[in-house]
Amino acid sequence: MLRLILCCSLSLLLPTRGFLQPDTTHLPTDTAIVLPQVMVEAGALNRKLTGSRIEQWDSTTLSPLKGNHLGDLLERESGIFIKSYGLGSSATTSIRGGNAGQTSVLWNGLPLQSPMLGQLDFSLLPIAFTDGISLQYGGSTAAWGSGAIGGVIGLQNKPDFDKNLILRTRTSVGSFGFFDQQLKLQLGQGAWRSITRVSYQQAENDFSYRIRPDLPSKEQSNAHVQQMGVLQEFYWRPTYQQQLSIRIWAQENQREIPPTTVQNQSEVFQADAFVRSAVHWKMVGERITWEARAGLFREKLDYQDDQILLRSFSQYWVGSTEVEGKWFISTSQVLHFGIGHTWMQADADAYNRLPEQHRTAPYLAFQQSLQRWKIQANLRQEMVDGNLIPLVPGLGIEGDILTWLKVGAKITRNYRLPSMNDLYWQPGGNPGLQPERGWSQEATLHLHQKQKKYRWRYSITGFNRKINNWILWSLRDDQPFWSANNIARVWSRGLEQRLSWNVETNDWQVALSGGYDYILSTNEVSHSNPRLEAGEQLIYTPKHQAFGKLDLHWKNLGLTYRHRFTGKVRAINTDYLPGYQVGFLMLNYAFDFSQWNAQLFFNLENVWNADYRVVERRPMPGRYFRTGIQFHFFKDNRLIH
Amino acid sequence: MIRSITTNCLLLLGFATLTAQTTSTFEDFNLPVDTFLNGSEGSGGFALDNAFLPNSYDQEYDSWVGWSISTTTDTQTPGFMNQYSAIPGSGYDGSDAYAVSYHFSHNTLELTGPAAGGVVEGCYITNGTYPYLSMLNGDGFAKKFGGETGDDPDFYLLTIKKYLNGELSTDSVDFYLADYRFEDNNQDYIVDEWTYLDLSVLGNADSLAFFLSSSDTNQFGINTPSYFCIDNLTTSDMVTSTTEVQPLISLMVFPNPAKDRLTIDWEDSQPAQFALLDSNGRRLRQFWVTSGQTQLNVQGLARGSYFLQRIDQLGWQAVRVVKN
Repeated sequence: MLRLILCCSLSLLLPTRGFLQPDTTHLPTDTAIVLPQVMVEAGALNRKLTGSRIEQWDSTTLSPLKGNHLGDLLERESGIFIKSYGLGSSATTSIRGGNAGQTSVLWNGLPLQSPMLGQLDFSLLPIAFTDGISLQYGGSTAAWGSGAIGGVIGLQNKPDFDKNLILRTRTSVGSFGFFDQQLKLQLGQGAWRSITRVSYQQAENDFSYRIRPDLPSKEQSNAHVQQMGVLQEFYWRPTYQQQLSIRIWAQENQREIPPTTVQNQSEVFQADAFVRSAVHWKMVGERITWEARAGLFREKLDYQDDQILLRSFSQYWVGSTEVEGKWFISTSQVLHFGIGHTWMQADADAYNRLPEQHRTAPYLAFQQSLQRWKIQANLRQEMVDGNLIPLVPGLGIEGDILTWLKVGAKITRNYRLPSMNDLYWQPGGNPGLQPERGWSQEATLHLHQKQKKYRWRYSITGFNRKINNWILWSLRDDQPFWSANNIARVWSRGLEQRLSWNVETNDWQVALSGGYDYILSTNEVSHSNPRLEAGEQLIYTPKHQAFGKLDLHWKNLGLTYRHRFTGKVRAINTDYLPGYQVGFLMLNYAFDFSQWNAQLFFNLENVWNADYRVVERRPMPGRYFRTGIQFHFFKDNRLIH
Repeated sequence: MIRSITTNCLLLLGFATLTAQTTSTFEDFNLPVDTFLNGSEGSGGFALDNAFLPNSYDQEYDSWVGWSISTTTDTQTPGFMNQYSAIPGSGYDGSDAYAVSYHFSHNTLELTGPAAGGVVEGCYITNGTYPYLSMLNGDGFAKKFGGETGDDPDFYLLTIKKYLNGELSTDSVDFYLADYRFEDNNQDYIVDEWTYLDLSVLGNADSLAFFLSSSDTNQFGINTPSYFCIDNLTTSDMVTSTTEVQPLISLMVFPNPAKDRLTIDWEDSQPAQFALLDSNGRRLRQFWVTSGQTQLNVQGLARGSYFLQRIDQLGWQAVRVVKN
């Protein structure tokens, strides 16, 4: 039986974890928390490559953002750039100068990216449907396969076997017709748990904005969004060594797409719908841990523009299976091995066939601990429709130099397979495309100090990455249409710094943190069409980004402030889009009782009423608010005083 | 099939040169109203009596560039689905048919028969409904002209040049299909009527080249939909000595389209000099052909339309060939 006592022994390789700890600090200092009897959970990413920099958010940290989406969380809590087309509109990532298709997103280990686009819309991922999120920076293709170039984001669901009943509701309203309702119900006895999550959100997003102070304000139109989702989970844990999980996630998203600032009106409507089913089995043995997972995803996208008589419908299926084992050979040696197979099929008006793809990839990792050092080697060999992709190795090392100083480094080969649209879209799809590929290196230095009342941490990471065969849609001399081609070579490099400071007294807890990223991500090859200059920074890839975070807790009152600076970016139609600073303020007051608690919250978004745009021609709202209440009822609490 | 209007005829004795003007109105394609020809029938273009309007249609991708012939009348529907309509809702002077140009870099119009090497007097030009409404209201890709404030000095410009003997002229005729560069925004305009454009200033030409440019341009090219429409093309027909006009000698070229080799079957007993021209009129190769069959290697050519041209003292002859 595994019974763990939380002791906050956080790995220093998780430099920002300290800023984002579960909010247990409001408990009396002499309170002990007996952790539930659970299997050892590996976190949202169980294949961390030694030497990687990871940020993690657990359910407590995520709680204030339950009415938001993954893009909102990453924008406020991490240093990565979120390319948001506006309130309620789609959002994608750029991590370490990569593009949206170079971020891999995993739901309990299964990749979520659309095989048609090769990327994921983060505005379709409600935070309420996750219990933990991990962000691993840098290349991880050797562990996670195609697309894990800029970073990997893991979403995790897990049951609380220590409680038989959990009921949580969260209702919020806000500016621009915003309404959000969340429900989570966990039921169960003995070895069984059932968790039902329901999410409903709608908004008109009819905010006003000004082009120039002397011009009349305009109102955003055709911006209504509605999102409904259900996530049903079943868990069966016959012994403390085995767990079977079944999850079904169904969601429907309907949204109007507003006009740009240089468009009089829009009648565009987009409906996204999906059903994601997954089965996950885990068995923890004396020396070896086995995991098997399988998923079947079906997603549909219906895009309509009545104004131009356009209707485009597409859908795809993805079936994934994976088996892996972790063999603890000795106290200092671990062998991690596995094999996965993915089948995908897509259907679109612009395909003249029903393309299918089979990907098979065996995976191997070996970790050796040597006193203060840990070294890990990864290897992955992917086959696509029977054709071998070049072998992908990864090597990582980390170690404690001094009690207050740690170092980590890794080098990996990376690749990204072309998407179905890159291969088969007509006109322009190119079945002869090669995968994007290259190497990346990074090194991190961590410094930290902990005293009785306070602790501080500082980390600095340098990275370097080159990707060849970068896929761009371009106009070739011999073709009268745009087509996908391996024409670019991109060099990304940069420095990331993080600093945090926490202090607590009997009544007060204060956490202050910040970060600054300097990222150069330049195209290394000149082209005429699209017009690219060698050495030019990629579009929508800021060189400078910084953020600051403040968390204050006094008794039951909490204040959270997030501030973000994004430097100017190159855009498509204008040379540069100006940089901007945005602030987010959250206030909450908790009413705590033995078996339930309630929380009132008030969020002020864009506190300083900044006039900014993340994407050109797409206005962002000025200051606005969201407020609401959350109830949390539970039985069989194990809090011991 | 094609109705020609001979508007002038001048016989110069001594030089034995005949000059006339022919206006081609596209009506003789006999298209029913609200239909179009986009090259899907594989013609490679549209022949008028004195001009050839190239078209490249890709069967695999169901796409075209070059010219289409249209009688569509929709002046209300924005977007790509209405790409064949002219904004006046008809051809010039209420006629049914007109030609629509769509291209990436530039489009050409070949002068043939007696107009080859002659002067193009002019034609009527207007906007397509698709670019017109895009410039007026903006769309998902292109901006409304004037921009966010209405003050952007936007323009959509058609520049016409000529090819003569394979050389592109530096002289040009500019025509603003839309012009928002005025200090007074009330003067800003987007062309919505058929407007006559005098092209005689270009002088003698083998072909005309049409270039579009727009202030709404980014690294991927022009955002403004690259369409315009023409009607009533008037050419000057010059024939050097009517007595020298010879019946065309039998010339067969096959297969057409060709992939690797093109066979030229030349029946005349005398050798003839041929030239292979690209769709812009540029001379790529020049060679002699003797009586019988001659094979031409076209493997290295890019896909698209070309002209196999014979010019000698007997006259002028051209065949359009397509490389797959």
